[in-house]
Amino acid sequence: MSDSLGIAAVGTYVPRRRITAEAVTEAWNRFDGAGIQETAVPGPDEDSLTMAAAAARRALEASDVDAGEIAALSFATTTPPLEEEDLSVRLGEFLGVGDDATRTLSTGSTNAGVRALTSTLAAGDGPALVVASDMPRGEPDSAIDHAAGAGAAAFVLTPDAPVTIREQADHAIDYPGTRFRERGSTTVDSLDITPYDRSAYTETVGGAVDGLEADPSAVDAVALQAPDGKLPYRGAKVIGTPSDAVEPHAVVHSLGDLGAASVPLSMASALVDGVDRLLAVGYGSGSTATALSVEASGAVPGEVDLAGEETVSYAEYLRLRGEITSGEPDGGGAYVSVPSWKRSGPQRYRLEGGRCPSCGSLNFLPDGACRQCYELVEYEPVQLERQGTIEAVSVISQGGAPPEFAELQARAGDYATAIVAFDGPDGDTASAPVLVVDADAESVDVGDRVEATVRRIYTQEGVTRYGLKVRPLD
Amino acid sequence: MRDAYVIGAGQSPYGSFPSESYRSLFRTAFEATTESVDHGVDPSEIDEAFIGMISIGGRQLGLSGPAVTEHAGLHGIPTTRVENACAASGSGVRHAIQAVKSGMADLALAGGVEMMTDLSSDTTRYWFGVSGETEWERMAGTTFSGVYAQIASAHMAEYGTTREQLSRVAVKSHENGARNPKAHLGFECSLEQAEGAATVADPLTLYHCCPTSDGAAGVLIASEDVAAEYTDRPVKISGVGAASDGVGLFQRESYTSLPATRKAGRDAYEMAGISPDKLDFAEVHDCFSIAEILAYEDLGFCEVGQGGQLIEDGVTTLEGDLPVNTSGGLKSKGHPIGATGAGQLVEAFDQLRGTAGDRQVEDAEIGLTHNVGGSGGAAVVHVLEAPERAEVES
Repeated sequence: MSDSLGIAAVGTYVPRRRITAEAVTEAWNRFDGAGIQETAVPGPDEDSLTMAAAAARRALEASDVDAGEIAALSFATTTPPLEEEDLSVRLGEFLGVGDDATRTLSTGSTNAGVRALTSTLAAGDGPALVVASDMPRGEPDSAIDHAAGAGAAAFVLTPDAPVTIREQADHAIDYPGTRFRERGSTTVDSLDITPYDRSAYTETVGGAVDGLEADPSAVDAVALQAPDGKLPYRGAKVIGTPSDAVEPHAVVHSLGDLGAASVPLSMASALVDGVDRLLAVGYGSGSTATALSVEASGAVPGEVDLAGEETVSYAEYLRLRGEITSGEPDGGGAYVSVPSWKRSGPQRYRLEGGRCPSCGSLNFLPDGACRQCYELVEYEPVQLERQGTIEAVSVISQGGAPPEFAELQARAGDYATAIVAFDGPDGDTASAPVLVVDADAESVDVGDRVEATVRRIYTQEGVTRYGLKVRPLD
Repeated sequence: MRDAYVIGAGQSPYGSFPSESYRSLFRTAFEATTESVDHGVDPSEIDEAFIGMISIGGRQLGLSGPAVTEHAGLHGIPTTRVENACAASGSGVRHAIQAVKSGMADLALAGGVEMMTDLSSDTTRYWFGVSGETEWERMAGTTFSGVYAQIASAHMAEYGTTREQLSRVAVKSHENGARNPKAHLGFECSLEQAEGAATVADPLTLYHCCPTSDGAAGVLIASEDVAAEYTDRPVKISGVGAASDGVGLFQRESYTSLPATRKAGRDAYEMAGISPDKLDFAEVHDCFSIAEILAYEDLGFCEVGQGGQLIEDGVTTLEGDLPVNTSGGLKSKGHPIGATGAGQLVEAFDQLRGTAGDRQVEDAEIGLTHNVGGSGGAAVVHVLEAPERAEVES
């Protein structure tokens, strides 16, 4: 365990939509997400990678660290958009992490988020960025799906940071069948043997905490893995910590089961809240648990906003996640080759523009002849701000979307598409076309201020193209 | 350079023709074109052809130009397919004029054809979409109508243009199109219908958008040396202008005008030696109602920002001071992409020779055609003069 790196800043991201336990009950005549009032519902163009990017960017913004300084990047999720590919590389590209940074993808267990944090701390290669993001799914009539939420948390790790991990202890007991995802499946399963599952959780969590020297009853807060809204309290009893140390930062009640992001998000909540002594325990099927004794010398920079903005019905929930839509229509989509997409990564992910050395004007895209003086120049790289103003907008109505956006529209409804003048560093602007998300399309107007966020654009040849969309600024 | 004249022009009906092929439609247009030549023309006398097209039933063929000219009996002539999105055959006309003026050809055919109703609605949107900035604009979820809707939003925000004014363009176009037997949507519509139609891309409703049409058109362009062999009443092409611009709207200096139209218009007026106030009518590119309003301003029919007021004042109706889109325009007559530009010259030819029937503009002597590619990545403008004004060298 390195004592040189600690948590310097946190960032979180939670989708804006929620579905209530009542809505699920209305659909299924029951709700099996014990102790959960509502869960977070990801948008149709969101996945664990886009949520990770949003949380990571917020963590970096809250810190003094520039993405280019990151020496180690770790991404943890049980729901990677691809079964094979090191998605931490693309996450780094979204953020502008340098090519030499160490990258790690952790998956296969809901304990992956905590393990990513401990292994990055142990490597001691800083500044570092650890991101946990997850959006588990189950079969719609299962307890796992009723509990399933979505969210992400990120930690910037630097030397001499205000938060240090004092101790770590692991515990593993062979408990097959408690929670697993079969090869090729997108849904998590469980044998649903309640006493067995409960034993797996309490024994491994208890074992991990027993391995710590810290007194569990003397901590200010506990961040416990929360597959549902009851197990953390059962766990608290076993490890001997009061339940009122769990409740304030147990995000499960309002967001649901966040998988690998469950404990990281609870930790972020506690640290931003100024908790001094924190016990964090990750748990994953198999079963393993990792307990951390965390000490803070003051509130950590970062914001934790878990509030939802829109409540959806159960039918909307099914539509949003693509259960009842027909997929991409025939007729094909616009072909933009993967190499073409890759070449424009700095623009698509990070809004890198260019200044014309001949006339000084700001250009986006920074290639080809300057749009002002028409000189063929080599542009000086300029980083545009991620905020801008809508210059022109339209709302694409149902049935009017290009084929590659038809499925998105079927799931999300009418959407606004706009030209946004992104702020430049010297008071000038450069414009780009973007899709507007997280907004009532009809309410988007010329003059509105927006901010860029990475989302899925479309998938072709099995490869998802990611890029910037914009969302309204409050 | 030699002067160039239109000595014949014709088109197929525009609409949906499930029993036709792109070849047979072109043949229909070609036969209408040759039939319009007063003294007749033998296909073997045509030196060269320039054919505008974008897609053939959702396919992009490499030699679709020769495929249609050979089918129409134009055996062995050099045929070039011209691809410039919706400005394909307008550009083809310009190529034909260049060939004639340069002396490379004495008689050149410019035309275009498009079969668009063969396609599923998804594929149609795909093909419409390829006329925009595919890698960026389209990847923002934008459609062809969406880009023009963005233009409309900016025009509304900057100049106070209203949805009602957009709707009035549609009402006017349908009124004219109802008098055109070859129009795809040859019926009238009320302001209420245009206003209340389903939204396609806000603020544009269905009536603010052109239909998806099949159709073909042809124009025969002759040099001053041979024009008199074919007709005593040739229509002179006195001005030609063309320009290009950033394909994506976001790359332009303005979202409320099409700079390519402005430049093409300026050049055409200058070559013709006229100013916009000399025009008796115009066929402008109105794929969407806002496009016609932009054309009013970019071609100098009114001051910048006053396009909405111009239609509201009735200036561009058939009875107004400057009738625009007497054919019904793309809105009512139809928009078979590759045929559109040449089809505009067919209307100008008829107007300037007094054969436009119920929609004839009285004493029409000077007319203009304006053809736009995509949302302004290309534009072609022609100024044409009636036979009474033209001085034909014998």
